[in-house]
Amino acid sequence: MPTVLICDDAIFMRTMVSDILQQAGFEVVGEAETGAQAVERYKQLRPDLVTMDIVMPDMGGIDAVREITKFDPDAKVLMCSAMGQQALVVEAIQAGAKDFVVKPFQPSRVLEAVQRVLG
Amino acid sequence: MSLDSSRYADLFRTESREQLSAINRALLLLEGGGDQTEPVGVVFRAVHTIKGMSATMGYYAVAEFSHQLESVLDRVRRGDQLLVPEVMDALFASADALETAIDNASDQAAQSPAMLTALQRLRDVAGGVATSEFPVQMAAEGAAAVVEVAKANPLDGPGVIVRVKQRADAVLPGVRAFMAVQRLRDLGAVAGVQPSADALQAATEPMSFGVRIMTNASADEIEAAVRSAGEVDSVEVDVSGRMRRESRSAIEVIAEGEVPTTPSARPTRHVRIDLARLDTLMNLIGELVITRGRLLQLTASNPDPAVDESMQQAARLISDLQSEIMTSRMVPVWQVFDRFPRLVRDAARQLNKDVNFVVEGKEIELDRSLLDEIGEPIVHLLRNAIGHGIESPKERLAAGKPRSGRLVLSAARDRAAVLIRVSDDGRGINRERVLQRARASGLIDENVREVDDAGLFRLIAQPGFSTDEEVSDLSGRGVGIDAVQIKARALGGSVELKTVAGEGTTITVRLPVTLAIVRALLARSGSERYALPLTHVRETLEYDLSAVQRVKGKAVLVLRDEVLPLLDLRDVVQQGGTGGTHREIVVIERGERRSGLVVDELIGQQDIVVKQFDAARDALPLFSGATILADGAPALIMDVGSLFEGS
Repeated sequence: MPTVLICDDAIFMRTMVSDILQQAGFEVVGEAETGAQAVERYKQLRPDLVTMDIVMPDMGGIDAVREITKFDPDAKVLMCSAMGQQALVVEAIQAGAKDFVVKPFQPSRVLEAVQRVLG
Repeated sequence: MSLDSSRYADLFRTESREQLSAINRALLLLEGGGDQTEPVGVVFRAVHTIKGMSATMGYYAVAEFSHQLESVLDRVRRGDQLLVPEVMDALFASADALETAIDNASDQAAQSPAMLTALQRLRDVAGGVATSEFPVQMAAEGAAAVVEVAKANPLDGPGVIVRVKQRADAVLPGVRAFMAVQRLRDLGAVAGVQPSADALQAATEPMSFGVRIMTNASADEIEAAVRSAGEVDSVEVDVSGRMRRESRSAIEVIAEGEVPTTPSARPTRHVRIDLARLDTLMNLIGELVITRGRLLQLTASNPDPAVDESMQQAARLISDLQSEIMTSRMVPVWQVFDRFPRLVRDAARQLNKDVNFVVEGKEIELDRSLLDEIGEPIVHLLRNAIGHGIESPKERLAAGKPRSGRLVLSAARDRAAVLIRVSDDGRGINRERVLQRARASGLIDENVREVDDAGLFRLIAQPGFSTDEEVSDLSGRGVGIDAVQIKARALGGSVELKTVAGEGTTITVRLPVTLAIVRALLARSGSERYALPLTHVRETLEYDLSAVQRVKGKAVLVLRDEVLPLLDLRDVVQQGGTGGTHREIVVIERGERRSGLVVDELIGQQDIVVKQFDAARDALPLFSGATILADGAPALIMDVGSLFEGS
């Protein structure tokens, strides 16, 4: 079963992403509320997939992606963005994120993106 | 980019950067006033060099831009363009643009509009002066042509055209398009994007866009890359423009208008190091290798697990360090070989010979200091071949040979050695004449009527030996071969000769790959230890009486149906006595000749640091140097090649 680490500062969003991915057969091995936590958990857990919110307290998602890919160039990070964050998404991709989804989430889109990332 | 040119990419970058520094220094001088001739020349030549290098690398945009700059500079050089402050500013801006363009090209990134802006600016200021001057208009025209191309469709030109249609429900389509272009960039240099990359990224509605890319990837790979960016409806790949390469269209890559990525950390992958510094490093690592050997012996006699472990690790690190330092000293032989074609041409011309010169194995690497040493001997060999070996065209035709003589200089690796070979298809060495001469000068017995190649070589390698009555300026006065022999020996190598009357001569110089540290087999004879460089060691075996026979009173070794002469190290070093019952044999070789060398004991293989020494006069010419062993005792390094000469 592929493992996933879910990073978002809102419990609501974490729960939602978690539900979508669990239904698709993922094992949620960890969650993080801040970018710093995300990096730390990634190093501990080495999950197959990371979902990463862009805006989080204490090191944003983009910096976290940068740190994670520095640690593991093959890390598969999927960015979760709100509407209107176009420039930030581009930055995240440049930082090493493999794909992105835009809130509000549609499960089918999330799974499509996950498939592309893990493809 | 093809694999081949990627080898040179780093070199291109380093060298371009040097040229750019020269340009900037010279521009500063120009701005400071004073005599202009010299600095203008410097800038012109540097730009010209960059043009040539970038065209070779296939960086046509850089080449075209340099070409445009060059034509303006040419006018400056001829005094047709005055260096007013505005022109100076434009030139500085152009130098900056050139630097950016070179970085982008070597990073395989898309070109920025910086070159266009700079050319436009140069055109504007030069145009200002040009109202009364004819040549500047030419420059302006050149620039205008570039600017014009900039307005053309970025998809027109060589390369593969990829047309992408996004899904109608794509979210953040601009980001998806950006990702698609980025994925394509992994396959090759993106030469054009339409709409421009900026416009693409800013798009808020799903759209269709086109990308022109220089790649050898298949249509399927290209489609897969685009689709991996997500939310793609359809992809069309047109590979028909793949082979098309026009120099004019090359500048189009700058037409894309994409914002360049900030070159925050510009990598410099080559630095120049003073050779003396490398030598110092080599000496230090040599001492360290000896110290390592001593430490290993000490720890072996006082075992302590903790110390052993650290010692083993230190030993490994020292080995790694040693191999890194040795590698950093290696240079391809073409650095020396490349000057020979000209030399051969001149020599052939002077002697009215027709020579077809071929160089092989240019990429073989040798230690820098060896390569420097070997240049002169090769010159001797080449000149000998042209002067004495290859016949005149008339003589060749009469002998039924092609008019042009063939002269081959080759380098090849043979395990721990490098073989440098000079081979001609000339008349071969006249044995009879060599023998006559040798008899006359008392080098050999009056009755000797035959001589093999090795014997022949010993004769002609005698100092001052020459068979040529009319000594030419070129091949010298018979000093050729002995000089080559002396040099090869000094470097721990050997020389062999093969010659067939009427068919030609081949001389092979066998050298260790590196000079300072060689891998050697340590052998004991009595209480003395000797180092036998692995360059000349073929294999080792137990001394077994059943394999040793006597032929005509001489001991020989029968090894896999081959009969090898057998030498005893005790005899060789005139030590006397007999070794124990369990002795060992080292099979040594030089070229195609092999011999067995009987030793009392083989101690093992070791890296030894060669210390050159001057042998005492009349000493046996058996040793090429000395070394310090792990226990601090000195040992002599055998010149294995010389062991074949007495046999």
